[in-house]
Amino acid sequence: MKKTTYRLNSALGRIVLILTLPLCSLSAADIPEDVDTSRWNCKNCEFEEGLSGSFSLGLGTVSDESFKFGEYNALYQDGAFPIADAELRYRGEEADYLNLKLQDLALDSRVLEIDGGQQGNYRLMLNYQQLSHAISNSAQTPYRGSGSDTLVLPAGWVDAGATSGMTQLDASLRDLELKTQRNRLEFGAAYIPHSEWETALKVRQEIREGSKRSTGSFFFNSAQLIEPVDYVTNELDVSATYTTREWQSRVAYYASVFTNHNESLSWDNAYNPLTAGADEGQLALPPDNQFHQLQFSTGYQMSRATRFNAELAVGRMEQDEDLLAASLNPNRVVLLPRTSANAQVDTTTLNLQMNSRISEQLNVKAAYRYNDHDNQTPSELFDWITTDTFSAVARTNLPYSFTDNELDLSADYRFSQRTKLSAGYQHKIKQRTNQEVDETSEDSLWGKLSYRSDNDIDWLIKAEHAQRDASGYNLVAQTDPSQSLLMRKYNLADRVREAGSISASFNPNESSTLSLSVDLAQDDYSDSLVGLTESNEIHYNLDSSFILSESTSLHDFAGREVIKSHQAGSQTFSVADWFALNRDTTDSFGVGLKHLLMENKLELGADLVLMHARGEIRIENTANFPDLETNLETLKFYASYQLRENMTVNAAYWYERYDAKDWALDNIDVDTLSSVIGFGETVPDYSVQALMVSLRYKF
Amino acid sequence: MKTITTPGLLRLILFPLLAGIMGLNLAHAQQVEQVDTEPTLATLQKYSEKGADTCLKCHDEDSEFPVLNIFKTKHAMAADTRTPFGGLQCESCHGPAVNNEWMQGDQPEDGHTVNKVKDGEQRPPMLNFGLKSKQPVAAQNRMCLGCHQGNTHIGWQGSQHENSDISCASCHKIHTPHDPVLDRVKQPEVCYQCHQQQRAEFYKPSTHPLRFGQLSCSDCHASHGSAGSTLLNKPTLNQTCFSCHAEKRGPFLWEHAPAAEDCSLCHTPHGSIHPALLKKRAPLLCQQCHSQRGHPSVALTASGLTGSNPSRLLLLGSCTNCHSQVHGSNHPSGVKMMR
Repeated sequence: MKKTTYRLNSALGRIVLILTLPLCSLSAADIPEDVDTSRWNCKNCEFEEGLSGSFSLGLGTVSDESFKFGEYNALYQDGAFPIADAELRYRGEEADYLNLKLQDLALDSRVLEIDGGQQGNYRLMLNYQQLSHAISNSAQTPYRGSGSDTLVLPAGWVDAGATSGMTQLDASLRDLELKTQRNRLEFGAAYIPHSEWETALKVRQEIREGSKRSTGSFFFNSAQLIEPVDYVTNELDVSATYTTREWQSRVAYYASVFTNHNESLSWDNAYNPLTAGADEGQLALPPDNQFHQLQFSTGYQMSRATRFNAELAVGRMEQDEDLLAASLNPNRVVLLPRTSANAQVDTTTLNLQMNSRISEQLNVKAAYRYNDHDNQTPSELFDWITTDTFSAVARTNLPYSFTDNELDLSADYRFSQRTKLSAGYQHKIKQRTNQEVDETSEDSLWGKLSYRSDNDIDWLIKAEHAQRDASGYNLVAQTDPSQSLLMRKYNLADRVREAGSISASFNPNESSTLSLSVDLAQDDYSDSLVGLTESNEIHYNLDSSFILSESTSLHDFAGREVIKSHQAGSQTFSVADWFALNRDTTDSFGVGLKHLLMENKLELGADLVLMHARGEIRIENTANFPDLETNLETLKFYASYQLRENMTVNAAYWYERYDAKDWALDNIDVDTLSSVIGFGETVPDYSVQALMVSLRYKF
Repeated sequence: MKTITTPGLLRLILFPLLAGIMGLNLAHAQQVEQVDTEPTLATLQKYSEKGADTCLKCHDEDSEFPVLNIFKTKHAMAADTRTPFGGLQCESCHGPAVNNEWMQGDQPEDGHTVNKVKDGEQRPPMLNFGLKSKQPVAAQNRMCLGCHQGNTHIGWQGSQHENSDISCASCHKIHTPHDPVLDRVKQPEVCYQCHQQQRAEFYKPSTHPLRFGQLSCSDCHASHGSAGSTLLNKPTLNQTCFSCHAEKRGPFLWEHAPAAEDCSLCHTPHGSIHPALLKKRAPLLCQQCHSQRGHPSVALTASGLTGSNPSRLLLLGSCTNCHSQVHGSNHPSGVKMMR
């Protein structure tokens, strides 16, 4: 038997590269004139035509109510729930098509997606998605009117100087459920008037309703409050794209208009007023605002080896909500310098990038990035009232602006098909207004080596060194009381960053992988006497998936992450006199198995994930804080059995256990704190089982 | 109103640099012109006589590399002349196969066609895709870019993924009706193949809902390249966050400087062991920047957790028990984020 072998070496790589170059510049329909396709009948081509689809109906049940288990999956209540999913596909001869998808029809996480049109000509989409966020069902409050913009205390409420004296507190408590629901409706259309042009339109409306936590205070006395959420966000995205072989451009307009149907939240003071008239407080809720942006992107293939990309985005954020009164206290009336916010920020981002393959081995890249956030909100002196209670020294609002200029240079040199060395330099200047530092300048150097060893293990080694210098640290005059002279805010401070990583991955075949990685980074703020002085993190990850046999596959992952930081403070306002350590450690492990039986008619699978997190806080020379802990165990079994060619029964069992220790919430009742009326929430602790069985019919 | 000027250093470096690259490019373009005049394989060989039927003789559902599901995809829409099956069928992407003689150095003769590979014979090399492909990633991707170079792919070349030699087929499955990376629920698993750290982070107690299929990586990230530093969908990080959290966009009358500048100064996007995706707990999180005389600068120790009067500065919301408007306030008296 004749056996022909081929040497697949770098020469072949070059040959194939050359081979593909002329092809890639063809659109698929550009059949070269010398290709005789008269016998390309495609008689074995099983093109999809007509209607097909599937639907699933079934029943599920959840063993226990838990807002944490159902935080995002809408399964926050116990009891049975229907399962209803459906998919519909239509393919016509003239490239006309329709896709319809319905998911979780009976839950608060339902999804409807309709996508149809004529491929290559036009496309219409209609999507509806609900996103449920269950926040808490263990909160209690004495306030009435939860969910509205006015919270009042019940009749007969007895004010007191501290929660312990609020004699009607216990009797007034009502259970609360905190959750929000986003309902998104999106319409999209695309039209291709010419093979080189594509136009698209997307309109989305999101209605977000529900309630969430907030707090309101009267000087140092406060209460946790229910903040109403009644938002509407309308978005518009219009774009036109021009694409040729050498030049691609896209111009787009994006608008986002946010409306909050509640402009404020007012609440009764449950404490003895500290001054006459401080009986009611008012919070400003997120104001209506708009963002408009025009964006232009282009890519130009200057030659086979060199490409130029540019992107310019010019936008404006506007917010002109009428200002509330400075206080609801009738004894604290002040005149405002203006009646509405008149806030405006102009944004500009510009990115230029040139990428050039100087030779087969050498690739160079240069990029310039500009980002400008120009806050044009008028800066004026405001008389103001501290928490509806005391008159305060007038303050000037500070519109923060900043500008980034960044230059990136990098080069890759490919020594062989197996070895590539990359290195780069970045110079970044950030300028700010109204802050302690006018300008920071950062220089970074990085290198990366990727190497495939003889045993086909891909190694990747990266290292980075960066140094950031501040132009000078000066207190902001308008801030009162002023900061410690020793404070260096970590985003403005001098910093030396060292980062590195090493990873190895092995792919014995397309379906099997084994990879290991270690990433570490260290930020040193050694010039900061107060504030963050050091932070570092390290991540270890192992990930693998294997085909154990023709019918069995296994995948697993394991990881450890340690994030540590040191900071210092000065309560004597002279020298740094307290030092704190934060260390968060997270361990995670997961394993999954999938097995096919009975000539692949039966699929069995299981997934187990364990996560343990620990947060340590230490203040030097003081007693340790109790550890913050979270444990998550989640186990899923699933089975799928093909009853008939078009009918499958699916079953899944899901067990999840979660417990946590959090000193900020554990055993903190509504009146535990003398000056905060809490919600008395409990830390999530659940053990939930869910069982789901459904029948899928395919047609 | 601000007064910020473009740093002269950057101008000094940038423009000569771009000019230098342009010069290199022009020199290289001349070199490429010469290469262009040399015969390429496309001019040396022929496509198959029967197109896809040639391939499908072997690549049915029982073969090691079944391909028939391609006919349930957008690529196999014959009436759409932009697609492979509106053109050169399988060979639109895989190229004209190379014959034995050619591989041994001889030019193919006219009329040469791809034949069925006999038992024991090794398949003549042709352009194939994926992790085990022997062809360079750049060559694989160039084929895809031939059609997919516009729209959101404009920034692919020079992007982090392109620089890292990620092939299109590393993430995309072509011969399947449902490409997992285009499915909101399945997409994260595709990304986790490389981004293992993020997989672990999404199991943390405070996170965005990827684990439950409500969001996917591409809701925030543009995997085909973007102007931002971490392949974000929008030009800046904050703009990306505001696309779902528009209520925090402001601009507010009283801004909280870090919130206006960079959400990630306080929040970590993929997961945290602290509530609200915060990087660390208040009060220490806040005390990294706030050192004013009085309560902001006081060391709040574990002694404040217990006793007859536990500390309101530590428990429940800590600093936010009073300063609840941490993203900015539009209240005339909101200077200290308390209204």
